Amino acid sequence: MHRLVRRGSLAMPKDNDSPFLLDQHKRGLQNLDRMARYPKTAPVDLAIVGAGAGGLVLAQRLARAGWKIVVFEKGPFWDPDRDWVSDEAGSHPLYWTDKRIIGGSDPVEMGKNNSGQGVGGSMTHFAGYTPRFHPSDFEVRTRDGVAVDWPISYWDLKAYFERVERELPVAGQDWPWGDPHTYPHGPHPIAGAASVAWRGALAHGVEMRAGPVAITNGSFGNRPHCIYRGFCLEGCKVNAKASPLITHLPDGIEHGVEVRADSMVVRVEVNDAGDRVTGVTYVHEGREEFQPADAVAVCGYAIESPRLLLYSTSRRWPNGLANDHDQVGRYVMVQGATQVAARFPTELKMYKAPPPEVSSEDFYETDESRGFARGFSIQTIGPLPIEWAAHVLADGHWGAALREYMRDYNHWTVLGVLCELLPAPDNRVTLAGERDRYGMPVARFDYSLGENDKKNIAFGTRILEEIWEGADAQETLKIDRYAHLVGGCRMGFTPEDSVVDSSHKAWGVDNLFVVDGSVFATQGAANPALVIMALADRCADLLKGKRSTAAA
Amino acid sequence: MSVPEGLPRQRRGIAPQMLGRYPDWNVLEQSRHWDDKTREVVMKRVESPPHILFFTEDEAETLKAYCDTITYQYTEPRIPVLSFIDEKLLEGRLDGYQYEDMPDDRDAWRLVAAGLEYSARAEWAAESFARAPEALREDIVAAFADGLLRGGPWEQLNVKRAFKLTTKHICQAFYAHPWAWNEIGFGGPSYPRGYAAFGADHLLDRERWEPKEEFVLDPVQDTKARGID
Ligand SMILES: Cc1cc2nc3c(=O)[nH]c(=O)nc-3n(C[C@H](O)[C@H](O)[C@H](O)COP(=O)(O)OP(=O)(O)OC[C@H]3O[C@@H](n4cnc5c(N)ncnc54)[C@H](O)[C@@H]3O)c2cc1C
Ligand code: SF4
Repeated sequence: MHRLVRRGSLAMPKDNDSPFLLDQHKRGLQNLDRMARYPKTAPVDLAIVGAGAGGLVLAQRLARAGWKIVVFEKGPFWDPDRDWVSDEAGSHPLYWTDKRIIGGSDPVEMGKNNSGQGVGGSMTHFAGYTPRFHPSDFEVRTRDGVAVDWPISYWDLKAYFERVERELPVAGQDWPWGDPHTYPHGPHPIAGAASVAWRGALAHGVEMRAGPVAITNGSFGNRPHCIYRGFCLEGCKVNAKASPLITHLPDGIEHGVEVRADSMVVRVEVNDAGDRVTGVTYVHEGREEFQPADAVAVCGYAIESPRLLLYSTSRRWPNGLANDHDQVGRYVMVQGATQVAARFPTELKMYKAPPPEVSSEDFYETDESRGFARGFSIQTIGPLPIEWAAHVLADGHWGAALREYMRDYNHWTVLGVLCELLPAPDNRVTLAGERDRYGMPVARFDYSLGENDKKNIAFGTRILEEIWEGADAQETLKIDRYAHLVGGCRMGFTPEDSVVDSSHKAWGVDNLFVVDGSVFATQGAANPALVIMALADRCADLLKGKRSTAAA
Repeated sequence: MSVPEGLPRQRRGIAPQMLGRYPDWNVLEQSRHWDDKTREVVMKRVESPPHILFFTEDEAETLKAYCDTITYQYTEPRIPVLSFIDEKLLEGRLDGYQYEDMPDDRDAWRLVAAGLEYSARAEWAAESFARAPEALREDIVAAFADGLLRGGPWEQLNVKRAFKLTTKHICQAFYAHPWAWNEIGFGGPSYPRGYAAFGADHLLDRERWEPKEEFVLDPVQDTKARGID
């Protein structure tokens, strides 16, 4: 039996005042003038690299426990009123667009599609889906004989899922899949484009539900209601969609978190013995600076966290920090995110309402009759014109045909799968020869699909086609792509099989932690943001009472 | 004729080549409903497109013709696609990845310019790509799309990936422009106004200010029927 969460404003979080610290009519943070400034001459309790989903939840929690924290962020400190636009091309600065080299037999395109920068991290322009992992996701080796188990279980995270869902807050229908649960906010109304998909799913016998999305649907402190304008991937100018910039940092600042934006950490430094980190070296306005710290948490996401560790070499760590066993950078995962678009005689205008609307986890678990292990989710998406042009180009059209397909934009709507792809050691981040403007070697990311992965994607794509048949679509159009990034510093059981232990502590270094999407051992078929936040929340709980040990 | 018969001429505002499905839709008339920052960014695109500074004059001549071919812009008014690409490359606002078998995006573009000229002269016996007739340019571009161009500058590129890269940048510029939004009936920026009418097939399928589509055609069937794809 699952406990019902009370809907709406009654379930306000008790130990996070962020929604009240915002202004109803201004989007930027209102308490910046009260932000702490720590000296560079004395160690802070914790230096956090990266102001994203993992970093800012960790910062807010530990600040509440009295820790002195500086968060370093390569990108700017966003003020949505001043910096963000309701425009696709104009949103380029939100993405991590520094060069990365991609290779392997199935290279993964980076940038806008999977990496963000600036205070708030990738969630400032994430779509907004916030599903939980299923209990099975933590034990796929035991259950299905593939990949690895996590050293923690769903039940270790459950309370943190609930707590973070209340803080974002998540809106959706009662959830029947995985560990069934309810959400603090009710489901958003469904737009025309998504309702067509739902009808097709019904006809095909696939269950759909509205949500789960991290978009307010009721009063929530000073955060306004969604206005259904559909620009979630361009950054929400309304403060309706969650990102840690507005859901955790305001409260963190109130409790002593300092954020140093436009500051790229280029090395984590160690003592002579190499068993403890001493702080971080970072580049701000072209100058290298050092901040001493009693502990360091690397929260730079699946490409940057491994890159930073690999580049942080020393006498004790010639192959990169915490990399005795050649595990740093390995087992990076993406999800197979093929999308199938469908054409209908009526105008659907898929650019309206948030792109994440309805989803299905009917195919999430292993079904041996399908001929592969694990499964996938199905979700709606609503590409804006430039993104839609990518679909049309991928289908092979240019010239007069390109223009004609594009003129038909308003008649199309899109469904996508998120297929769980299994970890492989050679899907990895290494350092390329070229250097970036901070003098750091550029990351190289190689990726190749395995057999199970290909079968999963092919099966999922066929289900999408069938749903569209069920909806009486006139035409369909497919684009193969990937979404999300996790792994690279995975959590495991021994130093030989992973980079961090079950408490996020790096093997072989007493006071170094990795707390972001890179610690995932497997990927699930769920979008990763909620899981990352829940992991950070749990990590903070484990660390909270140990300031003196971490700092000893 | 590669535009479907009966496609309406634009009556309000501007659409590329003054053709589109929503002849009375001028998204720029909505600009007073946009927030200041967005209005500034979008209006700059319309009112003061950047000057070409990254490409040389010769490269620009070739690449303008290439952009026109990809976007089927053979008459005015044209969206000045290459100006925006030039600015992007000049400022180094790249997209965050480079295939291992490709040079930097900026070098790739220059090589494509050189490659198109090389192939036009060497294989199609044309005086130049830039001044070749439209039909000939389309033949060369079709070979480019299929990854069939070889020799000279092409040897330094993965040809298929170079096509993918350049067409991506071209569409990023073309569909960022409000004239293209007029053509396809996109609502444009929508903050702070938002939408209440986002249904389909019922009363609430459009706001009072939203355009009506005046011409409907299934592009899959039509491009097949007319053999233009
Ligand atoms: C377009 C898009 C759509 C998405 N949609 C969804 C969705 O619907 N649901 C979902 O759950 N997830 C979604 N995601 C993924 C989700 O946003 C990420 O998984 C999540 O934000 C990752 O959290 P993180 O803490 O690991 O890293 P991030 O949130 O990316 O934070 C890392 C931060 O660290 C900074 N950084 C990195 N290295 C350094 C350094 N050396 N020095 C200083 N700063 C550094 C980066 O600039 C960044 O701000 C989407 C992502 C994108 C890009
Ligand atoms: S659709 Fe809603 S959540 Fe998305 S950007 Fe607009 S207001 Fe924000």
